[in-house]
Amino acid sequence: MNLIFKLALRNIARNKRRTALTVLLISMTLALLIFSDGYMKAMSDVMIRSATRLYPGDAQIHQVGYRAEYDAELPVNSPDALLEKLQSHPLVQSYTVRTMDFGMVSSTANNLSVQVVGIRAESEAQVSKLKQSIVAGRYLSDDDAETQILIGTRLAEELEAKPGDRLVVSLNNYETQEIEQRLFRVTGIFKMNSKFFDEGLVFIQLPLAQQMLGLGSAIHEIAFNFQQETLSGDKSLAIWRELSIANNLAEGWKTLMPELASMIGMFDYSMFIVGGILFVVAILGVVNAMFMSIYERTYEFGVILAIGTRRLTIFKLIMTEGLMLCLVSLVIGAVIGTVAVLWVAHMGIDYGDMDFSGVALAEVLRPELRWQQFTELPFAVFLMTMLASVYPAIHAARIVPAKALHRSL
Amino acid sequence: MKPVIETRQLGRFYGEGDTLVRALHQVDLQIEPGEFTAIVGPSGSGKSTLLQLMGGLDNPDEGTVLLKEKAISEMSGRELSDFRRDHIGFIFQAYNLIPVLSAAENCEYIMLLQGIPAAERKARVYAMLEQVGLKGKEQRLPNQLSGGQQQRVAVARAMVSRPDIILADEPTANLDSQTGMDLLDMMHELNRQQGMTFVFSTHDPKIMERASRLIHIEDGRVIGEQRRDEG
Ligand SMILES: Nc1ncnc2c1ncn2[C@@H]1O[C@H](COP(=O)(O)OP(=O)(O)OP(=O)(O)O)[C@@H](O)[C@H]1O
Ligand SMILES: [Mg+2]
Repeated sequence: MNLIFKLALRNIARNKRRTALTVLLISMTLALLIFSDGYMKAMSDVMIRSATRLYPGDAQIHQVGYRAEYDAELPVNSPDALLEKLQSHPLVQSYTVRTMDFGMVSSTANNLSVQVVGIRAESEAQVSKLKQSIVAGRYLSDDDAETQILIGTRLAEELEAKPGDRLVVSLNNYETQEIEQRLFRVTGIFKMNSKFFDEGLVFIQLPLAQQMLGLGSAIHEIAFNFQQETLSGDKSLAIWRELSIANNLAEGWKTLMPELASMIGMFDYSMFIVGGILFVVAILGVVNAMFMSIYERTYEFGVILAIGTRRLTIFKLIMTEGLMLCLVSLVIGAVIGTVAVLWVAHMGIDYGDMDFSGVALAEVLRPELRWQQFTELPFAVFLMTMLASVYPAIHAARIVPAKALHRSL
Repeated sequence: MKPVIETRQLGRFYGEGDTLVRALHQVDLQIEPGEFTAIVGPSGSGKSTLLQLMGGLDNPDEGTVLLKEKAISEMSGRELSDFRRDHIGFIFQAYNLIPVLSAAENCEYIMLLQGIPAAERKARVYAMLEQVGLKGKEQRLPNQLSGGQQQRVAVARAMVSRPDIILADEPTANLDSQTGMDLLDMMHELNRQQGMTFVFSTHDPKIMERASRLIHIEDGRVIGEQRRDEG
């Protein structure tokens, strides 16, 4: 009814300060929700990217059971068929193959146990950030000598090695069951900001690794990246089944790195808590503001009830006032939220070398805008405001005219 | 003629035990169409309580109120609300008007609830406001009108929806005596010209003089009644 709208609108305009404060409260709730969501989303995206794209890849394929003990005698079955699928799959951006086994690396200064990874220099650079992580020397090159090796910064310190220095790598040869030793020259030193990588991994050329291990052309791991890294968290995709053939298992980062997955699950949880707290505070604020405006108008409600206004009409009037406050607030909140997200995204939040449970954020964090922030979140705030209006509206509708008129006289 | 409002053995108590206040006790009254009745009595005698019960704003503890021969107690909340809208006009001591609506909009309010078409509403409001001497002030908000003018708008609002009776609780109490007299004269005029039934309360002797029927109450009881023929 047109009358209710007119009354609601003018009543809202009546106490400008209170209206402004209420609108501020509701709109800030939405803005904060939008910003928190954008921040959390960016945080989890960056964490996932930092963790997966640094070295492991969004997803990996191994023979079933390989990951239990990293048994070098359990290589990927029929890798060529898999690589063919990866090559033509529309969701896949890049892939690479690796051999892995534990061995020793020795310098004149020290003698340490490491994981020796055989890689294809070129495709590895498409999947991981190994190439970008080189801080001294060079990345592997197919044109150079076979005996190139990349070591991490921490390992370099412990071995007291620098580019050009000689190292001996010892691996078990599974064909001859003898120790295979080769002399390498440090090609480059990488820094991934992770103790595990920087201390425990060395990279050599794949053919040489295969030869040392005596495994022919076998590989232990296929790592690949999706076009969009978020896809790797989607366990319902058909690609997992398509690649888990011949007793192989294709797994995304969620299964490969369960600690990271549960950490990111915590984000959703903390978003829920932040949202819950915001809601409780905002609901109390809105209820309070609505009640104040109703108490001030008790006599007025007594009069309009007396002259024949139905209680339902009063209920609708208060709900309409709540609705109007809400709609204005949602627009303002969405604008403030968007501006905040865009502004902080423009500035960027740099966590530097700080790491979150072992994952160093490899990028500057930039909050992201996404659809849910303009659909689900405003809808939740809308429901909240309407909910907060119901109680005051019922209260107003139940005013007894005789009492209301008596009180103020 | 059938009474517009009838009360039978009406009683209203506040509190209980030692603090029980009989605000109204065994009140039998009949208000006939066309009356210009004053309910008079000292402060606290129960005038407001009586008017509120007569208008169905409050529920009696004893007895019944019949509005056009129908017992209020038999009406649902909505029926009673609609009955007040269509048959009873109210004027209170002060702050009768909805502050955010103009004089014209305040008058229009009840007709809007009744669903009367816009053109008719407008015509009736403007005619009525002219009748109460507020021509040209239709668009003013209540706070842009004097107390007397506000009460005139209240009278106009009560009149314009054409109820059967107007109940006015000390409509002149907040006005200076001359303004109060003017307002009462205006109400009396509407009573004579249009036959509108008025019941109003007052404790001002000068105001009482204008009434055609006086109902004296004290301590919640009717203690006497006078009728005066109009000259
Ligand atoms: N809500 C209430 N609670 C308790 N007592 C009440 C209430 N309303 C009225 N009373 C009491 O009932 C009695 C009648 O009150 P009422 O307001 O009807 O008197 P009145 O004649 O209108 O007085 P006044 O001329 O001052 O307006 C008074 O004693 C008053 O104190
Ligand atoms: Mg009174």
